[in-house]
Amino acid sequence: MIRRLPGTGRIALAVVALLWAVAAISPLFARRATEIRLDERLQAPSLAHPFGTDDLGRDVAARVVVATPISLAIGLVAAAVSLVVGFGIGAAAGYFGGTTDLLLSRLIEVVLCFPVLFLLLALAAFLPPSPATVVLAIGLTTWPSDARYARAEILKAKNLDYARAARAAGAGPARILLRHLLPNALPPLLVSAAFGVSWAILAEAALSFLGVGLPAPASSWGGILSAAPAYIEEAWWLALFPGLALFATVSAYNLLAESLRQATTEAGRP
Amino acid sequence: MTRYLVRRLLLAIPTLFGIVVLVFLLLHLAPGSPGVAAGSPEAGRRVSAAAREEMRKLYGLDRPLPERFVKWIGRVARFDLGESFVDRRPVSERIREALPATLVLNGLALFFTLAIAVPVGVAAGGRPEGPFDRASAVVLFALYSMPIFWAALLLQTLLSVELGWLPLYGVSSDPAPTGIAGIADRLAHLALPVTCLTYASLAFFARLVRAGVVEAGSQDFVTAALARGLSRRQALWRHAFRNALLPLVTLLGLLLPGLLSGSVIVERIFAWPGLGRLYFDSILSRDYPVVLGLSLLGGVTTLAATLAADIAAAIVDPRLRESA
Repeated sequence: MIRRLPGTGRIALAVVALLWAVAAISPLFARRATEIRLDERLQAPSLAHPFGTDDLGRDVAARVVVATPISLAIGLVAAAVSLVVGFGIGAAAGYFGGTTDLLLSRLIEVVLCFPVLFLLLALAAFLPPSPATVVLAIGLTTWPSDARYARAEILKAKNLDYARAARAAGAGPARILLRHLLPNALPPLLVSAAFGVSWAILAEAALSFLGVGLPAPASSWGGILSAAPAYIEEAWWLALFPGLALFATVSAYNLLAESLRQATTEAGRP
Repeated sequence: MTRYLVRRLLLAIPTLFGIVVLVFLLLHLAPGSPGVAAGSPEAGRRVSAAAREEMRKLYGLDRPLPERFVKWIGRVARFDLGESFVDRRPVSERIREALPATLVLNGLALFFTLAIAVPVGVAAGGRPEGPFDRASAVVLFALYSMPIFWAALLLQTLLSVELGWLPLYGVSSDPAPTGIAGIADRLAHLALPVTCLTYASLAFFARLVRAGVVEAGSQDFVTAALARGLSRRQALWRHAFRNALLPLVTLLGLLLPGLLSGSVIVERIFAWPGLGRLYFDSILSRDYPVVLGLSLLGGVTTLAATLAADIAAAIVDPRLRESA
């Protein structure tokens, strides 16, 4: 798979790997990120504080590094939730067809009709504030796109010879779906999942920026950014650097997804 | 044609029902309802006995589930969204007040999205892998990955704080100037929020236009048009783009929920008194009737827009009618 990736895809993969490496060493900066020094508040970037300091005198660079694993992990887990729910519903709709498909497709349509952020805000604000809530809220609002992907893939594959052979051999729907159809639908689902991760990271950042994301001690990039509007006239670095980290991460995942899509569609051609 | 219309409308009924049910489920996250688990912020919230009593009366929260549901359906059918907990006024009135500000913002954003996305998408898709296609792909990709609140903060920093060209936030200056100066003042306040909403949907839509034009451009009728001696430009706009237009029309309805989502963030950052801000404020102040009313409105409007787009597409394209 990696060998088929175009050059940009490899760069994206390298950036994602680098981000996870930063996440791995981030505990080293934990002390620096939480050290409150009111005598050093809102300092512009300097050698001592490359990204400046925030309203409590904490080092923004250290805070951005420490937030890396939080943002990455929430993005990954939320995308996984979305993928599992989406695959379950989409695959069932595509495989069983008929009334099941009609009903499940309406369900997908219903969720797509809502502005995502409306549902997301209601879930995140009204459920107990915790990482689990954020992950569930994102997963439960973004699965329809995964479901549509899965439905289309299963619809294409369910009458191919290998699926018919499995059916003729007496395999049940669950076995056919999970053992035969799922592995073959994996490449396109991977594309959907990679887009899902970047989407989930953005969604978490938006929630934390609006103040209904992760509860206080943990802070993601969106959480750091939420302090920026109050100091917009004096501390531009509060907005620039955490957002840059967010932008780089989202771009890398999007680029990876785009390259995966190219690699899978080209591989499918004769 | 009639058969297609009837079928499309019939399919919308279960979706509409689903929207009403989903909002009904949201209601169960509210305090005093059986759905709120112990330990959740809602259970722990010190909701006054009066508010609890009101929720109970308004939504019948002490009644069994089927009865609650029938009551909810009955209220929705009468367009009775209840009263706001915050200022006791009907929810419909508060929505009507905030609607114009959001319509102006989103209407302009939609206009600029189409005005930019269509020419860019057609030009890029007209020569796939050409220099313009490659350059625009990079720009659109960057815009697509840029968080809207970050873009808003950067634009504010650059254009309002550093250069002082545009106001930081609000609808108009205080006191608002009159006459020509007043219009200019309003436009200056619109510039940044409209830009933020536009670039986000622009990146999404231009890629769709490009994909549609690339696909239509490789078909025989475009080759035939070129063979007949039409210029590349004519072949592109008259034949390729027209054929790519139909699927795009049906996708237009789906831009709406995205714009409304963006409105929540943009209206918050730019202190814009529209529906997005009303929704967010209502979430924070736990004004459930307003939250439910706006959710319902958002879902139903999108459904109506997709329905209208599908019907418009069917009227223009006979193939759609016959295949249905």
